[in-house]
Amino acid sequence: MMARLIGGLDRFVAAVLSGGRWLLLPVVTLLLLQWPLRDIFRAWSRDANDLGQWLFALYVAMAFTAATRAHTHLAADAVARRYTEQSRRLIARLGVLLGLAPWALFVVIGGAKLVIPSLRALETFPDTNNPGYFVIKLALWLLAGLILLQGAIDLARPRGSAG
Amino acid sequence: MTGLVLLVLVGLGIVLTGLPAAVVLIGVASAGAAFGVLTGVVPFALLSALPGRLVNLLENDLLQALPLYVLMGLLLDRLPVADALYRTSAAILPRGPAAQLVAGMGLGALLGPMNGSVGASVLGLSKVVAPRLAAHGVNEPARAALVAVASTLGVVIPPSLVLILLGDAMLGAHTIAVTSTGRQDRVINTQDVFHGALAPAGLFLVLSLLVAWLAGRRLPASRADAPDERPSLGQVVLAILSVAFLLVLLGAVALGYFYAVEAAALGAFVLFAGGLVTGRLTGAALRAVLTQAMATSGALFALLIAATTLTLVLRILGTDKLVADWVTALPGSELTIVAIVLGAIGLSAFVLDAFEIIFVIVPIVIPPLLIRVADARWVAVLVLLTLQTSFLLPPFGYALMMVRGTLRYAGSLAALTRALVPFLLAQWLVLATVLLFPQLAHLGEKESDRTRATPPVSAQELNRRLEDMLTPIPELVPPQ
Repeated sequence: MMARLIGGLDRFVAAVLSGGRWLLLPVVTLLLLQWPLRDIFRAWSRDANDLGQWLFALYVAMAFTAATRAHTHLAADAVARRYTEQSRRLIARLGVLLGLAPWALFVVIGGAKLVIPSLRALETFPDTNNPGYFVIKLALWLLAGLILLQGAIDLARPRGSAG
Repeated sequence: MTGLVLLVLVGLGIVLTGLPAAVVLIGVASAGAAFGVLTGVVPFALLSALPGRLVNLLENDLLQALPLYVLMGLLLDRLPVADALYRTSAAILPRGPAAQLVAGMGLGALLGPMNGSVGASVLGLSKVVAPRLAAHGVNEPARAALVAVASTLGVVIPPSLVLILLGDAMLGAHTIAVTSTGRQDRVINTQDVFHGALAPAGLFLVLSLLVAWLAGRRLPASRADAPDERPSLGQVVLAILSVAFLLVLLGAVALGYFYAVEAAALGAFVLFAGGLVTGRLTGAALRAVLTQAMATSGALFALLIAATTLTLVLRILGTDKLVADWVTALPGSELTIVAIVLGAIGLSAFVLDAFEIIFVIVPIVIPPLLIRVADARWVAVLVLLTLQTSFLLPPFGYALMMVRGTLRYAGSLAALTRALVPFLLAQWLVLATVLLFPQLAHLGEKESDRTRATPPVSAQELNRRLEDMLTPIPELVPPQ
């Protein structure tokens, strides 16, 4: 039962990240368009910036967990590579349990004061009044939520399985 | 003092646990915050500033450049641009190991600004340059040293990712310094750091090419079976177009026609279009590039998020005030004070990499330094050069670690260090020259852009201003 739940969570996180990676293409396009829109057409540059901004927020919110799953986080293992595999796994679990998980939980709870009112009001961008500013605040929950889910997956994963 | 203990724990945690630096930073910050709350030193309400600070990161315009640079680096790795540039430059020079080393260094200088990140440069150069150096009889430590040094050229040649992130950190530090001193200076921006870095970067590049050439001259002539890889006409055209595009990109950013983020977007877009047109970015390859881009961007952003958490806790614990007091109490001239602070940054480079230094150390030590030293552009360039050194310092320099892993380096660290020494000496020579001749960071600067010199301030006045600077910011004041 537990294994199926963890497997399901794992597939869910993988699916979210798999979809999220495509956001980079519109971010590139919108940021590129800013220049001609501002200097040649003299219109819609701010709108392109706003749209690019909330897509970027969603993208980087997911990227933290993508790095965790791909093991691309910067780490210095010149000393730790001499530890046994079991010790390294234990240290990694402690890192999740004592570092990432409580932090992410704090961000979810502490961020509620920012996210919920923004979501209720469908907050717009302060300078342009364009819609979508609430998405940036919602991205905070996405960031912390994915870290929590990945932490749960890593902690519950049976010993010895790839992670 | 608790904050300083936390900083030591960060260093130890990174070195001893092998955990990702971001996890260590978050873990230490959480432990410090919990300890502070339990002992009554930290009011719990102050920690509620964290989510707001994280949202600031998510909406930061400048940080949008981060995944764009990562994407550029990955695309360069998949497209034949590096190969064409290397073959063409090696073909111009006389045949032999020296030409290969110089061409490799030159390739680092050309690729660095385009892909922005040291990691991406290491991957690209390891693939294109290292095998050819081996074929020409260049020994393993010399190969690894060259790839490592060439990979860091992008740090100082604009518009690199390190330069952009340091520009942002300097902007924050200078804002604090200008506000607290009441000076009328224009706050430094990324563009100022770009301009300031150009001359020192050029000087270091010339010295590096010279060192590479001299190192190559000492090696035995290329083996008879070394491949004679003359570029095809298509490769020469591609190389010329790439250099022209880079110069246009650099020039447009330097002249202010578009921002660094837009330059990065343009570079990524052109490479992406090139990949589609040449058929090298088909469905599976495109998905792989996007997956890798997200994972690499996430690693950098995780570090930023973790450092934001730690610096908030350090600030609540008053570590910034303690460091500011120390910097204020430093005796001597501006030169001495800057040298001492750079030395401290250099020492931290033994355990932290450049990104960690920018996100954790710079926000703590640079604001008080800029209160005493008004020339922010000079300080920024010096910090940038120190960061470049930090990538190369054994044993934990990020470029060195990447090179050892990517090239599967089997030699000793001592041999690699010996091969690095001439380059490090050249690097330190540039650093010392900029330190002694600040005008090197101001070449071509307009009068309107100049940082206004401030009249000397009394120690008493300086202390008062520091106290003002360190009064709690509104978001850190507990709700009534």
